Amino acid sequence: MTPRLFLSTFGIETRKLMSYRVDFWLSAVIGFVVHVAIAFFLWRAIFDASGSERVGGYDFESMVLYYVLVSLFGKVVRGPEFPSDVSQDIYEGGLSRYLVYPTNYFLFRYAQHLGNLAPALVQLALFGTLCPIVLAVPDGFAPGFGAIAGTAAALLVGNALHYLLMLPVQLVAFWADNVWSLAVMMRLVAMLLGGFLVPLSLFPGGAEEAARFLPFPYLFHFPVEIVMGRLSPLAWAEGMGIALAWCGVLALVSSAVWQRGKLVYSGVGI
Amino acid sequence: MLRYLRLYANCLRFSFSKALEFRLDFFFRVVMDCAFYAVQLAFFAVLYRHTALLAGWNFDQVLVFVAGFLVVDGLHMSLFSNNMWWFPIYVNRGDFDYYLVRPASALFFVGFREFAANSFLNLVIASGILAWALARYPEPLGFGTVLVYLALLVNGTMLYWVLQMCAIIPVFWLHSARGLLDSFWAAGQMIGRPDKIFRGVARTLLVTALPFSLIASVPAHVVFEGLSLERLAHVLGVTALAFAFMVWFFRRGLRAYSSASS
Repeated sequence: MTPRLFLSTFGIETRKLMSYRVDFWLSAVIGFVVHVAIAFFLWRAIFDASGSERVGGYDFESMVLYYVLVSLFGKVVRGPEFPSDVSQDIYEGGLSRYLVYPTNYFLFRYAQHLGNLAPALVQLALFGTLCPIVLAVPDGFAPGFGAIAGTAAALLVGNALHYLLMLPVQLVAFWADNVWSLAVMMRLVAMLLGGFLVPLSLFPGGAEEAARFLPFPYLFHFPVEIVMGRLSPLAWAEGMGIALAWCGVLALVSSAVWQRGKLVYSGVGI
Repeated sequence: MLRYLRLYANCLRFSFSKALEFRLDFFFRVVMDCAFYAVQLAFFAVLYRHTALLAGWNFDQVLVFVAGFLVVDGLHMSLFSNNMWWFPIYVNRGDFDYYLVRPASALFFVGFREFAANSFLNLVIASGILAWALARYPEPLGFGTVLVYLALLVNGTMLYWVLQMCAIIPVFWLHSARGLLDSFWAAGQMIGRPDKIFRGVARTLLVTALPFSLIASVPAHVVFEGLSLERLAHVLGVTALAFAFMVWFFRRGLRAYSSASS
């Protein structure tokens, strides 16, 4: 796939998504505000009830900041809520036309997936600027160039990892009528074990340690920890290594499922 | 009334036979909902490792609340979720015409036509979790209290549907209800959180104009604090008002409906 085609596909998807502006702004503003508001009230209640200054290594301001960041970064990592283009292509038989195109199907779909990220990047820039004005920023939170660059790299890998996690699930459509439920299940598990619902440092010791070797923390928890300055450069390198290794494993799994699936693909939809 | 019950029985029969045609999807839906239940329980289990109380509730109490929320979710998924998925699509495509020409209430068809048989099994599982949570609750619970709690959860399911309808009905005027539905799902997260964590204006809103807390959280208070007439009147009053508003809003929407061009 040529870079020009990749960029062109990216641009078309971005424009398509931004054409329903009311939908976009409603989802963006309400989704973000509600997520942060629930976290704010929930953790205010927990800090008040426990009487502690710190819970799981976070004070109250850091905890709220964690949820602000995880909400913004989560959109960048996940992209559209439930990408179902691949499974739909298989189910409806639309995959046939891509098989004869002189381009890689998965790269084409990934370019579309990246095109869907533009709104998330707009939200990240907008709310990232507004939040320090509205919410109290914890003392000592001032990410330098190194932390920002490390976070950007982690988000890039996190996005690819999320796409690759969802890909084998989408490819199950070769055998099943509806894989939406599987995608939702994967999303729920990722939210819990990825630190989207609660920081992983609140998990029991063994569970937190075990989660580090799964792909999920590298979607949400890891980028947030980097920008909050809670990881050393060595921990960053180790995390990136594990995330990239998972990308490789999942790419192999997807490729194997794709090869098997093509054998049962009828070309006319199920 | 009897005519609608007969009609609903036919809808049920049709939905079950349809669900059993897609057996793998049936299985996936069951597994998905089980994952949802596990995540909800694990979330509170993690929180209670760091506090003994949350909004005045201990872990036993929060388990009863979460289990009640799961029952509401199971009921909603079984009764309404498929219908709510199709409603905006029917309006956009003009397929809503078929509901309007039938000799029965269009609102009945919009809300109740399809029963998600695959979610029904999950309702059974959620009910089991609720029975377990109530059985392990250390204080004695009267039969009447449990009965009122269950009735309030059914009422909460209706309220959930009414609120979701209010989020979808604007599709009659807008080209897409996506933004409003996304906002509804985002706001819907508040159903699964104890009402007393919210304070000030947020709390007032959640028990009046946006009554998400009346769906599962306020009913749970009945189990722990007993039923007061004031609380019952509040929950039922808000539900009745929300339902009346939804019916009025739906009728306004019907007037704006212009078949496939909507």
